[in-house]
Amino acid sequence: MSAALVTKIQRFSTHDGDGVRTVVFLKGCPLDCKWCHNPETKKAENQLYYVNRLCIGCGACRAACGQDAHAFLPDGRHIYRPEQCALCMKCVSVCPAKAMESVAQVMTAEQIMEIVLRDKPFYGENGGLTLSGGEPLIHADLCVELLERAKKLGMTTAIETSGYASREAVRRVAPLTDCFLWDIKDTDPVRHKENTGADNRLILENLKIADSLGAKTVLRCIVLKGVNAEPAHFRAVSGIYHSLQYCAGVELLPYHTYGGSKREQLDGFDDGNKAWIPAEADLALARDILTENGVPVL
Amino acid sequence: MVFYTPFCEPRPIRLCEETRRFAWESLQGKYGDEARTYSAVSLDHIPGFSELSEVEKYNIAIAEIAKNAPVRICKEEKVCGSATLGGAIDHVVPAFYQGRPVFRSVSHLTLNFATVLKRGVNALENDIIERSKDDTLTDAQKATLDSFQKAIAAMRVYHKRYLQAAKTAKPEAYQALLRVPFAPPRTFFEAVQSLWFTFSFVRLCGNWPGLGRIDEMLGGYLEKDLARGTLTIDEAREILAGFFIKGCEWIQSSPVPGSGDAQHYQNIILGGTNENGEDVTNEVSYLVLDVVEELAISDFPITVRVNSKMPRRFLERVAQVMRHGGGIVAVYNEDLVLQALERIGYDKKEALSFANDGCWEVQIPGKTNFHYVPFDSLRILLNDTLRLNTDSPAHFESIESLYIAFRKNLKNTVDKICADAIKEFADFCEHPEKGVCSVISVFEQDCIQRAKGYQNGGTVYRVVSPHIGGAPDVGNSLLAIQKLVFEEKKVSFDDLMRILQNNWEGAEALRLYALNHYTYYGNDDDEADAYTTRVIDDFGDMVEAWQGKSPIIFTGGVSTFGRQIEWAPFRLATPFGKRKGDILSGNDSPTPGTDTEGATAMIRSYCKADLKKMGTGAALDVKLAPGTLKGENGVAALVALIEGFCRLGGYFMQLDVVDAKTLKRAQENPEAYKTLSVRVSGWNARFVTLDREWQNMIIERTEKNSL
Ligand code: SF4
Ligand code: SF4
Repeated sequence: MSAALVTKIQRFSTHDGDGVRTVVFLKGCPLDCKWCHNPETKKAENQLYYVNRLCIGCGACRAACGQDAHAFLPDGRHIYRPEQCALCMKCVSVCPAKAMESVAQVMTAEQIMEIVLRDKPFYGENGGLTLSGGEPLIHADLCVELLERAKKLGMTTAIETSGYASREAVRRVAPLTDCFLWDIKDTDPVRHKENTGADNRLILENLKIADSLGAKTVLRCIVLKGVNAEPAHFRAVSGIYHSLQYCAGVELLPYHTYGGSKREQLDGFDDGNKAWIPAEADLALARDILTENGVPVL
Repeated sequence: MVFYTPFCEPRPIRLCEETRRFAWESLQGKYGDEARTYSAVSLDHIPGFSELSEVEKYNIAIAEIAKNAPVRICKEEKVCGSATLGGAIDHVVPAFYQGRPVFRSVSHLTLNFATVLKRGVNALENDIIERSKDDTLTDAQKATLDSFQKAIAAMRVYHKRYLQAAKTAKPEAYQALLRVPFAPPRTFFEAVQSLWFTFSFVRLCGNWPGLGRIDEMLGGYLEKDLARGTLTIDEAREILAGFFIKGCEWIQSSPVPGSGDAQHYQNIILGGTNENGEDVTNEVSYLVLDVVEELAISDFPITVRVNSKMPRRFLERVAQVMRHGGGIVAVYNEDLVLQALERIGYDKKEALSFANDGCWEVQIPGKTNFHYVPFDSLRILLNDTLRLNTDSPAHFESIESLYIAFRKNLKNTVDKICADAIKEFADFCEHPEKGVCSVISVFEQDCIQRAKGYQNGGTVYRVVSPHIGGAPDVGNSLLAIQKLVFEEKKVSFDDLMRILQNNWEGAEALRLYALNHYTYYGNDDDEADAYTTRVIDDFGDMVEAWQGKSPIIFTGGVSTFGRQIEWAPFRLATPFGKRKGDILSGNDSPTPGTDTEGATAMIRSYCKADLKKMGTGAALDVKLAPGTLKGENGVAALVALIEGFCRLGGYFMQLDVVDAKTLKRAQENPEAYKTLSVRVSGWNARFVTLDREWQNMIIERTEKNSL
């Protein structure tokens, strides 16, 4: 039985595929996007959230911790030192205020499906399971197992992916996936490398592989002002769309800074960048170019 | 003139400018303010009034209202008739003696409007005359029938005054009024006029009835007109809009803040199976949705009887309207409601005609005298069972022994409510002069035949329903005690009792632990939900045990109707970490702040109890953020949510779409948000008419949901 670290299972999701869906967020991602909306899913290892605002300074964490990872400043303020933490989770279980929380839980396919199945009465014909992350495809065994089970139970399946995964993983999941929500972060290889830590060749190759196996895709394009919100990028996206046989269209995702508060709880600082938030005009430009080039904007 | 919506797309425009302006002015309080300038007619000039019998007093009061209430015909209106006396807005008969009301009026019922349309009021009057010929009638029965006839005579007086006024001002309405409501209507317009006039006269006399199955009543007339080509669908929409706008005539521009002004129980039902087993959804059903969607009218809370035969297109329209918020449309799971009604003894055919009672409790229109008795089950746990309000709190050795003690006290409460109801009903049956309300009785089946009033055993059915409130808070309290005391032994039973008596003072870490470390009702956690489910199931059985002991149908219900706010200051601290005065669970919904898993999980938790035992209903409130419902998939998701609710055995669900940011802005700047409505509990209220506490509670709940 495969298992992985799950950061969240989001029920009644209406944005990640058709109908009512349950989205399973798996932890760990090989890319390092500067604008990551789910920073808690980046690292492959588990982490703790520390929410300073909730802490009542009771000291229970310090008493429980064998690693001296909790300390109190002279002014009484509590600090958490992740570098010393051994992730034993003792402080999490004693902290009354839920100021210390585990980012993820190890879950088996069985445990995940138990929750996913709970919403079966709401899925109807279109709804079902969406795998997301992080990058779900780094957990290929688990993905295959979950998708197979979901299909057997009559649910539709979707995967939200960066596409940055092994070709083998893509080949394995494609026949079990009704729809890929495929991130196209940038089409300029140099910028891609600069902003995500890797170039986009593998991503595009994998996209072709999925398409050649008959998988439906939706291209999800994050729009970042001053980064990719420019005509050349959206023309290139149009090109990708036309190179695919089973692509349903493009979804535009304007950058937002909601990831910031989560980041603050992880690293103690919020590096959300307001300058990247696109204006309505940037989005209109993107929509226009795509539409002109015959790309359905979803 | 922008009709408010929290949704990202504006409300569609289909009605003409004049109709829209009429709606706008009415929603801003123009006519409600006018009504406030004339509260009631005076009875002071009636010689020897105080010496008269109750029935005579009532007859005179109604006659004076009909004779003297101001007649109002608005320039823009389509159908005529108005409830122009301000006293009616306060739920009293607006005829005052020495400045004070003499009679309270009636609500929580839906009248037999279908018969008014089918047979006309003349036919009812003939029934009364025929019935009066029986010489075995007692004096009291004769007086009752006489009072019925006088009610209709008063209606005639009022009708004549409108005929006169409409003759030149509204020729079309005049033509219709020459016929209706005394004779049956022939066209859609006449039918709407008949329904409105009857409804507005009953309201003028202070009563707040619901309307029932408006599409079933009016659909046939519209179909014929459309087939004959004498009316277009757009014209029909304007006529129906006229009806709905007139129904807003009690809205005031700045009412005293309270539990909301839009709660005159004028609820309506759409769709649902008829006696032939077909779904009644028709063009009128769609037009009603068109009207409320465009005009943001929330004064006629709509409940859709969702069933498997209902056209998918209609459910999608319902979802589209829901997205504009205001909680204007709610749903019944028809299958389950029918099972619940059969279980309490209605025959199948009778059950099929169910509607709500003007609020959301289920009953049979024109046939049921319904009465509900709310109580706080948390008080039964904290005060009666744990005795936290005394110097010597109780001690229990296990959660089971505590539960058994609680259940005994719960049963005492239920038994007292039911025994009292039997006594009270017998008293009213023996004393026909009590609770006289002939304006209501004439529109209730069997009152004429039995020559008895609505409150005195005249109706086909008498239903009494104890309504449990705070059940989720009881369930959560039991769970917290089980975990803290018996399983994890974080605190001893007696110490916990002392801590609760001190309102958690000095035990903040333990309080937070209780609040944060356990999963409570509403998150689809079977262990947690079992506590609340058990309370509700046991309660249902206790009420059912009273069936067959009297002419009364006894059945349970789950609701609080916002009473959780009135109860809050008197409730003690709870074992799951809430302090004195916190606002707790509303209806059958999770305690605010304890649900984190979203709408589907909440629905599943709620559906775990056997809701068939709740003959008059169990209400669940679901709030959604507008962002989750965008686009076609938003509609599909809402439809899926409703279908899932039905599949799982839900009873009644109110879905509201609100975002906290907007509510806060409305709180700061009420003038700009007069048409913003929210679903409170069985009714819709304009947000700005709620008092601060209510507003804050709704904002808090909404914020929680948008995370
Ligand atoms: S998880 Fe364990 S090691 Fe890490 S801070 Fe908490 S108690 Fe210390
Ligand atoms: S246990 Fe929690 S509340 Fe107490 S000091 Fe540590 S982090 Fe703060």
